[in-house]
Amino acid sequence: MDTTLQPRLMMNLVMKGSTPPVIETHSLTKTYKGVEVLKPLDLQVHQNSIFGFLGPNGAGKTTTIKLLLGLIRPSGGSASVFGMDTVNQSVDIRSRVGYLPQEPHFYEHLTARQTLRFVARFFFKGPEKAIEERIDEMLELVDLNEKADRPIKTFSGGERQRLGIAQAQVNYPELLILDEPAASLDPIGRRDVLEVMSRLRKYTTVFYSTHILDDVQRVSDTVVILNKGALVVQGPIEELLAGSEGIVYIIHVKGQLEETHMQLLSQPWVCGIITGQHNGETTWQVSVTDPQVAEAQLFKMLSNDGVVVTEFRRKSYELEEIFMQVIEGGQNVR
Amino acid sequence: MSGNIAFELVSERSWRRGLNNLLDNEFAGWWKTRMWWIQCLIWVGLIGFIVGTALFGTPGARPSLIDGVDLYAIIAGIFPAVGVVIIMQDTLVGDKKDGTAAWVMSKPAARQAFILSKLIANSLGILATMVVIPGIVVYGMISIGVKASPSPLLFLLAFGLIFLSLLFYLTLTLMLGTFFKSRGPVIGITMAILFLQQYMIGLLPVLRYVLPWSLFVDLSNPNVRAIVPSLLTGQPIYSYIPIICLAVESILFILIAVWRFNREEF
Repeated sequence: MDTTLQPRLMMNLVMKGSTPPVIETHSLTKTYKGVEVLKPLDLQVHQNSIFGFLGPNGAGKTTTIKLLLGLIRPSGGSASVFGMDTVNQSVDIRSRVGYLPQEPHFYEHLTARQTLRFVARFFFKGPEKAIEERIDEMLELVDLNEKADRPIKTFSGGERQRLGIAQAQVNYPELLILDEPAASLDPIGRRDVLEVMSRLRKYTTVFYSTHILDDVQRVSDTVVILNKGALVVQGPIEELLAGSEGIVYIIHVKGQLEETHMQLLSQPWVCGIITGQHNGETTWQVSVTDPQVAEAQLFKMLSNDGVVVTEFRRKSYELEEIFMQVIEGGQNVR
Repeated sequence: MSGNIAFELVSERSWRRGLNNLLDNEFAGWWKTRMWWIQCLIWVGLIGFIVGTALFGTPGARPSLIDGVDLYAIIAGIFPAVGVVIIMQDTLVGDKKDGTAAWVMSKPAARQAFILSKLIANSLGILATMVVIPGIVVYGMISIGVKASPSPLLFLLAFGLIFLSLLFYLTLTLMLGTFFKSRGPVIGITMAILFLQQYMIGLLPVLRYVLPWSLFVDLSNPNVRAIVPSLLTGQPIYSYIPIICLAVESILFILIAVWRFNREEF
C-alpha cells in the first residue's frame, strides 16, 4: 500500500502526457424533479491541464462538479476520475482531489489553522511536524498567517474564499476542482489565485468553473462552455480563439484593388475573400488553408502599386466574444 | 510545494474512512468547549434539585428509598430526553443547513463514518453529562437522605437503562435529521413521541413494550410497575421486552439513518 505522498507526486510528474484522462464522462446526466439540469455530457480532462469550465448561472457547472465528487448521483450515464467510478469509488477519488466549493462553509467556531488541520487529518496521519508545516505553508500561500488563529466567524467573504483555496490544496491533490475560485476576491486576490493555478500545473490537473472569462483566457489550456445544461463548446483555448471559419486574415486596404483581389483569389491556398466597406476603406477577410504560405506570400502580394494597406492581422476571437455568441446566439462556433 | 516531505497517509478504509478525524472533531465539540460543563450543570442542578427537594424538603419527614428512586427514575428518564432532542435536532440538520455537511462530505470521509461520529460522540457526551454525573450525585443524595446505601450495581444498571432510553431519542432524532432539511419536523416528531407516550400507551397498551415510557413511569395497571424503579429497589421487573425493543429500535434507527444519509445529495 502506498503510505507516502512522495511516490504519488513523482509518478504524477513522470507519467505526464502519457496517461488516460483524469476525468472522463459518458452521457452524464442529472435530472431534478423531471427537469434535466445536465444533458448528456461527454468530457475528457487530461492530466496537468488547466481546464476552464464556463457557463452562465444555472448552466450545470456546479452540478457537474458535484457529480464528479460523488456528492450527488447521476440520473444517467457515467463518470470516472482517475479511472474510478464516481458513484462507487467516490471516497477513493476524493482522497486524491482538492475541492473548493462555490460557497465554502466551514465550522464557524474553528480557527483557520484548526480548519486546515481538520482537513489535513482526512489525508494524513502524520508526522505531526510535517502536517503543521504544510498548514503554515498553506496559510502563507493565501496570506492568512496573521489571522490563522482567529475563529472563522470573524472572517470576511474574501478571507473565507482564501481559506477555501488553502484547504483545497492541503493534501497535494492530483486534481484540483475549484468552483468559482475567484469569486469574492479582489483583483489582487484574483491574480494570486491565477498564479497559484499556473504554478500547480506541473504537479496537478486543475478543473475550475468560472464566469470570469478574462481569467480563463489567461490561464486555461482547455475550455468547455455549458449552457442550459448542455455542452456547447469544447476544445483547446487556442482553437477556440482562432474561431470557426478556419484561418482568416483581416486586411484593410485602399486604392486600386481589383487586380490584387483577382490575384489573391487565384492562389491555391486562398479559400475565399469576403469584402466589406468601413470608413472609406475596403476590408478583406481572406480565408486561407495554409497559414505558413499565407504568412510568407500574402503581405507581398499586397505590395502592388496603388494599393495601400492600413491594417493587416490574423483574425482571433476574445473568449468573451465566443461566449456571448454561444450563450446569446445559441450558436456553436466550433 | 514541499512535495518532498513524506506523509503517513490515513489507512482507514471503507465505512471507517475519516471516522477518527470526524470523531475527534465531534468530541472536541463536547469536551473542548463549554458544552460539557453547561450540560453537567443543567442536569445535576435540575435532577439534583428535584430529587433533593423531595428527600430533604420536608423537615422531620423520613423519605423512603422507593419515593426517592421513583422520582429519580421519572426525572432522569424524561427530562434529559428533552435535552437530547434539542442537542441532536441541530447536530445533523444544522450541518446540512449551514453547508458544513456538504463540505465534510467533499473530503475522503465515508458517510457512515459521518453518522457514526455523531452517534458515538453525542452518546458518550450525553451518557457522561446527563446520566452518570447527575446519577452519581443523586446516588449520594439518596444514600444520605434515606440513611441506607442503595446497591451501586443496581444504580449502574439503572444508568444503563436511562442511557438506553436516551439513546432511543438520540437515534430517532438523528434518523429524522437525515430525512428532513429543517429542524421543525425533527423536533416536532420527537417531542410529540416523547410527550404523548402515556396517551399512546393508553390507546394501544402494547406500545408499552416499544416506547421508553414504561421504563420510568408506572402505568395504569397496578401490577405493572415501571422497570427502572423496580430495578433500583431490587424488585423483579415485569418484562425484559421493552429493554430489548429499545435496543433493537435504536439499532434500526441508526441503520435507517446510515441508509438515508448514503442517499443524501449535497
